[in-house]
Amino acid sequence: MERLFCDPRRCVACRACEIACAVEHTSSKELFAAVLNGDLGPPRRRVQRLGANPFRVAIGGVALSLGCHHCDPAPCVDACITSAMHKVNGETVCDLDKCVGCWMCVMSCPYGAITPRVKALKCDLCPDRKERRESARYACVESCPTDALFAGRFEDFESVLARPIERPWEVVR
Amino acid sequence: MNPKAKSASYVIVGASAAGVTAAEALRRYDAGAEIVMVSDERVIYSRPLLSYYLAGKLDEDQLLYRPRDFFERYKIKTLFTRAVGLDTEKSQVHLQDGTTVAYDKLLLATGSSPRFPTVEGIRQRGGVFGLRKLEEDAKAILSWLPKAKRAVVLGGGLVGLKAAAALKERGLHVTVLVDSPHALSQMLDESSARIFEEIFERNGVPIRTKAKPVALLGKNNSGVEGVQLASGEVFACDLVVVGKGVDPNLELLEDTKLRKDYGVFVDDYLCTSIENIYAAGDVAQARDVLRGEAWINALWPCAVEQGRIAALNMLGQETVYRGSMRQNSVQFFGVPVISAGLAVLTPGPLGGRSGEHDETLEFRPAPGIYRKIFLKDETIVGFVLVGDLPIERAGLLRILMDRRVNVAGVKEELLEPGLDLGYLLPLIAENREQFVEREFRELVQTVGV
Ligand SMILES: Cc1cc2nc3c(=O)[nH]c(=O)nc-3n(C[C@H](O)[C@H](O)[C@H](O)COP(=O)(O)OP(=O)(O)OC[C@H]3O[C@@H](n4cnc5c(N)ncnc54)[C@H](O)[C@@H]3O)c2cc1C
Repeated sequence: MERLFCDPRRCVACRACEIACAVEHTSSKELFAAVLNGDLGPPRRRVQRLGANPFRVAIGGVALSLGCHHCDPAPCVDACITSAMHKVNGETVCDLDKCVGCWMCVMSCPYGAITPRVKALKCDLCPDRKERRESARYACVESCPTDALFAGRFEDFESVLARPIERPWEVVR
Repeated sequence: MNPKAKSASYVIVGASAAGVTAAEALRRYDAGAEIVMVSDERVIYSRPLLSYYLAGKLDEDQLLYRPRDFFERYKIKTLFTRAVGLDTEKSQVHLQDGTTVAYDKLLLATGSSPRFPTVEGIRQRGGVFGLRKLEEDAKAILSWLPKAKRAVVLGGGLVGLKAAAALKERGLHVTVLVDSPHALSQMLDESSARIFEEIFERNGVPIRTKAKPVALLGKNNSGVEGVQLASGEVFACDLVVVGKGVDPNLELLEDTKLRKDYGVFVDDYLCTSIENIYAAGDVAQARDVLRGEAWINALWPCAVEQGRIAALNMLGQETVYRGSMRQNSVQFFGVPVISAGLAVLTPGPLGGRSGEHDETLEFRPAPGIYRKIFLKDETIVGFVLVGDLPIERAGLLRILMDRRVNVAGVKEELLEPGLDLGYLLPLIAENREQFVEREFRELVQTVGV
């Protein structure tokens, strides 16, 4: 199954992915319209500084953009009392019609990747973009100006990580 | 041999959280296995949703967390009857209709039942219910409602308070009577519990603490008329719901040599003292990560996880159960609370000590909104989070507690609702041998520590 990864060497914590994610989950899928309609919800992934020091050198990077890891077995699925949270071909999916907002999943997610807002909101791997290809397949990946976000298998991502980067933002401050 | 004996490879008694998850895992890894489920309930439904049903917020279909044709889909043979005995020598379960079913491997997933206090008249009066089963309890309460105006809930635990809130939504006058000095004594420390007592009060449901009922008033074989306390005080009512905790369903094991204490003892593979018999869920006394001894955390997520792990071990895929811990998330009148761990240890049916922590961290941005974390030797042993913001990313605290991570360096940050995984990643990397999940290993690798 394809998942999303973030290369912390490239992530500059610009939060473009957060905006893109929030916009993707509105009816208009346009920032301006979403703001005007008051339709902008929380992003389902968040940029997180690594460690106490935002420029912590020891870790090699600055920040990471993180969302649902689609664990297997998934603690949120085990904890869900309605089966709203369930697995489909390895993907962890929340059926919002079934969610009663009990927040058992929020309690269980070891990554803090589920946001309680009436319903349990999390990365849904952009179901409305299923027809799109390459980086346009996921809103966050498409929006990332430094190509820190990557969609694929972890093994593919590992080979990306193994390659040195030459961009200016590799500089560790 | 009994000519009526039916032969089967896997027999599961109980078709709820633990049993259903186990059956799914058995089928997933063994397409041809013969799986028989013995259940005295025909419908697979979510017990924690019963209070939503009682309140009228969900209908019966919305309680079903598996499709109605679950048993057919998973090619599971069903025996809708009670298991009444167990012959561990012959590996047979005795059923209520006099037949037996033979097993190679047996899973006990019989769950638990409401504990009724010894109060005069409690079994003789009509209109007295537990809240555990859809037919016998939830539907029976609903059909009693037209006759009811005033309800008394005995017990201020999770189920008692959920029932009280639901009955209030149905328009009844509801009073909660609690033996303990405060409500939710298994889940919250006293000051947190006070917040919820006030919330209930404000919403028109008074909670009386230190109230010990001694008799249910009324004539024999007719409806209850009131509850009398030890003090002599009487609360008039025409409906009583008992929510005073649960006891594991062990009747089936009465004449067996299976090692049991409060529940059925299981080892770290969820196997009982008899080789081919496993147990999972509310009936199983398994490792508790925080207590370091066998305990029952009668909770949905624990039952599901144990059901799966028991099944894997029954299949011969050796899988260690890490252990459970007390944890819960609920909302009362719109105020969410997530609490986990030992901080509020009060004596229960298994004993229990209080004061297991040596440090308390507290963050209160506004009255009634807070994060409270209990530490012992610099590791988290419990927490209580109250309010919309404080509960966010509660799972981070839970995993640090579960993995016994020394949090001495991050104490202040733990209190911040904005705490995130990125911040904790260096700490996780330092303790990486505790974080064995693929996802954690990938993350730690990603950041190249
Ligand atoms: C109102 C309510 C609210 C709850 N809220 C929460 C919550 O918010 N969070 C949480 O984590 N947990 C909650 N729980 C607890 C949770 O429902 C249980 O922990 C969970 O259901 C345990 O699952 P189990 O499979 O072990 O047993 P059970 O769900 O008890 O199921 C056991 C099944 O086996 C059947 N059975 C028993 N003995 C026999 C026999 N001899 N023969 C045939 N069949 C038999 C029973 O009838 C039952 O169908 C709540 C429970 C209730 C009642």
